[in-house]
Amino acid sequence: MIRTIVGLAIVLVLAAILITVVDDYTVPSALSGVGELYTQTGVEDTGSVNLVTAVVVAYRGLDTLGEVVVLFSASTAVVLILTLIPIGANPTPPSSIVAFTAGILPGAIILFGIYIITHGHLSPGGGFPGGAVVASAFLLVMLGSNTIPDKSKFLSSIESLAGLTFGLLGFWGMFTLGQFLNNLVIPAGSPGRIISAGIIPLISLAIGAKVASELSGIFSSYRKAGGEE
Amino acid sequence: MNMSLFAAASIGTGIMMIVAAVAALIVKKLISAIIIVGFVSLSASLLFLLMDAPDVAITEASIGAAISTVIFLWGRGKIGGEQ
Repeated sequence: MIRTIVGLAIVLVLAAILITVVDDYTVPSALSGVGELYTQTGVEDTGSVNLVTAVVVAYRGLDTLGEVVVLFSASTAVVLILTLIPIGANPTPPSSIVAFTAGILPGAIILFGIYIITHGHLSPGGGFPGGAVVASAFLLVMLGSNTIPDKSKFLSSIESLAGLTFGLLGFWGMFTLGQFLNNLVIPAGSPGRIISAGIIPLISLAIGAKVASELSGIFSSYRKAGGEE
Repeated sequence: MNMSLFAAASIGTGIMMIVAAVAALIVKKLISAIIIVGFVSLSASLLFLLMDAPDVAITEASIGAAISTVIFLWGRGKIGGEQ
């Protein structure tokens, strides 16, 4: 009861803060500063039609590399803690509905995830969303069966390879064009084509593989860890 | 999209999220609370889509609505069912 009251109080305080903020908000009529620059010269600079990906991977590529490192250390810590817990009993077998769905859907979901990753420079998406979608397909596979073989070694080698690819692509730009993660070590090509936008598609692939393998590794070690049952 | 329709859809989704968030605190069963939290994430993803941020919507739908809901459900199984 006390927990409910405290929770409701926190929600109400947050709502009050939000309402005061919303009251002051006005929709800006024009882009300001660096946003204007991105929208004016983004497509010529990077060759990427999707300006969000252009900002995330090309203009702010170093930040994305940092984000990948944060994700790597977080998942390493989680898996380390989970492996300290002794392996638990096999979870209850899935119902026939879940098992049937998990036999059909994952292929389509993985295909959609790969589409999001490979078309990151053309349509909404990119490495992070696509990798998360692929990982959710693996999650569905794990939900549908209790006898999934342990692939954590394979997953961690994919993860390391993807992280290494990202870093090496960055150094490629540094040694040829004098700028870390320079996008145009491969010619930008004509914007709108699947093979265009320099190294953005390659970095998207690396991020996608890394996110998908990291999340899948967390799932499988979480699934194995024991509980009170 | 018509501006007023956009505003109505956004405000409706927002109210739905607030009601669901309060409901998640009040309901007695843990499993209901987990499913309701997943619903809040799904509504947030709809809101991102309405605000022209489809990439954020994809991430929210796959991580917030699908992955974290399943993680919570597994965790509920590991701590021994209902509290």
